[in-house]
Amino acid sequence: MDEIEQKNVEHTELKDVGYDDVPGMVLTDTNFISDFIKKTKVQDVLNWGRKNSLWFMVNAMGCCGVELLSTGMAHYDTDRFGIIPRNSPRHADVMIVSGYVTKKYLPALKRIWDQMPAPKWVICFGDCAISGGPFYESYSTHQNIDEIFPVDVFVPGCPPRCEALIQGFVELQKKIDAKKDKGTDY
Amino acid sequence: MDANSIMASLTGKFPEDIYDSNIESGIRIVAKVKPQNVVEVCRYLKDELSFGHLCCEFGADYPDRNEIEVIYIIGSYDHPVILTMKALLPRENPVVESVVPVYWNANWYERETYELFGVKYLNHPNLKPLVLPQEMLGEWPLRKDYEGFPNKTAKNLV
Amino acid sequence: MEETVGPSEMIVHLGPQHPMMPGPFRLNAKLRGETIVDSEVEMGYIHKGIEKILENKTYLQGITIVDRICYLAALTNEEAYVGCVEKLAGIEVPERAQYIRVIMEEFSRLQSHILGMGEYAGFVGFVSMFMYTIRDREDIMSLMDSVTGARITHSFLRFGGVKDDLPDGFKDDVKYVFGNLRKAIDQYEELFSSDSIYKARTVGIGVLTADVAKDLGVSGPPLRATGVAFDIRRDEPYLVYDKLDFKVCTQKAGDVYARIQVRLDEMRESMYIIEQCLDQIPSGPLFPEGTAYGKRSPVMRVPAGEVFHRVEDPRGEMGFYMVSDGSDKPYRVKIRGPVYPTLQTLPPLLKGVTVADIVAIAGSMDTCTSEVDR
Repeated sequence: MDEIEQKNVEHTELKDVGYDDVPGMVLTDTNFISDFIKKTKVQDVLNWGRKNSLWFMVNAMGCCGVELLSTGMAHYDTDRFGIIPRNSPRHADVMIVSGYVTKKYLPALKRIWDQMPAPKWVICFGDCAISGGPFYESYSTHQNIDEIFPVDVFVPGCPPRCEALIQGFVELQKKIDAKKDKGTDY
Repeated sequence: MDANSIMASLTGKFPEDIYDSNIESGIRIVAKVKPQNVVEVCRYLKDELSFGHLCCEFGADYPDRNEIEVIYIIGSYDHPVILTMKALLPRENPVVESVVPVYWNANWYERETYELFGVKYLNHPNLKPLVLPQEMLGEWPLRKDYEGFPNKTAKNLV
Repeated sequence: MEETVGPSEMIVHLGPQHPMMPGPFRLNAKLRGETIVDSEVEMGYIHKGIEKILENKTYLQGITIVDRICYLAALTNEEAYVGCVEKLAGIEVPERAQYIRVIMEEFSRLQSHILGMGEYAGFVGFVSMFMYTIRDREDIMSLMDSVTGARITHSFLRFGGVKDDLPDGFKDDVKYVFGNLRKAIDQYEELFSSDSIYKARTVGIGVLTADVAKDLGVSGPPLRATGVAFDIRRDEPYLVYDKLDFKVCTQKAGDVYARIQVRLDEMRESMYIIEQCLDQIPSGPLFPEGTAYGKRSPVMRVPAGEVFHRVEDPRGEMGFYMVSDGSDKPYRVKIRGPVYPTLQTLPPLLKGVTVADIVAIAGSMDTCTSEVDR
């Protein structure tokens, strides 16, 4: 509570001095800068950078996890698009839910999501992550992952091929380019 | 060692405990065992008849007979015969002695049977849920009268 | 494992998400300095309840579900399930279908071993090896793809036969791929055996002796690496394995290095089996003649009875126990996976080793968590 009040005071002080009136001059915190940038062309440049370095986290959870491994490796070579597999959530931009999310695993997955630095995106890879897939009746799985994580791209298939995952990434790039992704507030 | 001699040896040693025994083929034999003496029978099987390999241990629910079967499938590294041994337990209070002292790898099988069927194992070193979260204990999902299946929460079905 | 921590001890949790894990599981290790005093494995992060789902599916629908028990050995899972139903219903499989099954199952073993080895090499810091193995695995995947139409989950076997025949020119494709693959496997072996750092991390680490391994119920390559020639393909032949010439690969040492060596040898053996099959395969129908198997039949009833059928999975002994009550759905299906006992051996094996050896030992077991949890 104290912090907010302090900020308000500062803000009014700034207003009193009349800094807002100086055109093109911003003297405030990073949030203000990023909000300001979102209205300008600089955001396009940032998004161009973001969409071309979508590092995903290797989190093999099921059958699709095997395709996930293959996608990042020599044959499909997603490094060409700047899509690089990372082992730590702290390095990653994209979380790929690659399988059935069970009641026991969901807390761990939420924790992984919290550990990832923003801006971050989610791809639902495979039927299990989308709707439960073949295990939609199971007593131990969570079916509706899109209610828990802000999912940008769904890649259907059981399991989808590696090419489908690459296309999923391309769709995500398009969304970021069009500023319609859920990973960033516009 | 062939199926006939194994069965003869087993029924000869435990005439009271082994019943309904049957030789299905040269490599498959079936028997039922009194739940009180499972551990002694298993120890005899392992030490004398070289049944050293517990393939698996699991439950099967029969609500119409009001019984839960605990089924031991025991194989060997030395001969090809596999013994299917069943212990019949009452459905209200299924309790059986743990065979972990004899077959070490029964540990997880018994933990799984405990959480999925509710079979209590006496003298088990660490009887707690294995595959289900702790809060699902007591639902016994693999029993036939479990109500949480099928799960109807899926929304994005096509 | 006791939660109490003594002086200069600490508990480290590895997982459930951890780069070394082939699937999510959690290892709680109690350390004193850098040595593991005690450890415990926690499972169930991808428990799907397949056994319950199978009870509520018809026999034919079940094939697609058992595919997903272990995604690296989908065809051997199917073989165990389909074999159970065939035993119960007394279906005879035509010889050509049996040969095709053997070919596809050996391909499955080949790709599983090659991926397992690559993953393991990645865990011990040999990431370029992972790249090599995935590159060579793609060739095998394309071959399997050309027969079954899928890369991971095939749904290829049917009761009494197989879904499709081998495509034209399959033998030539296999010949071409195997020429490259033989060279690649020799190259892997040379890479593994010539690297002194790698050897220092694997030779004499995680030693299982034959008696201990038998006592712990281990099967498959970890058991064969201890010198026990236990292979269901030879001990309890199914399909046409009794007509084929192959040897059961064993090693004496029982350490991490020996387990990888067994897998390398088995890959060569698998290729030899596939070549024999392609030479011997007779022409004929894919389903028993004069029966409805292979035609579209939504309801299939299986006579009441109980059966246990086991096959040799890439990881060891895969068994299905099926209880049928005469209806169109199985009454109870129990899946006995090979990794289940193998993963249980981690706590006794890890006692007294250092933290860096955890990945070497756990990786060399080629664990498939999906199959343990089911």
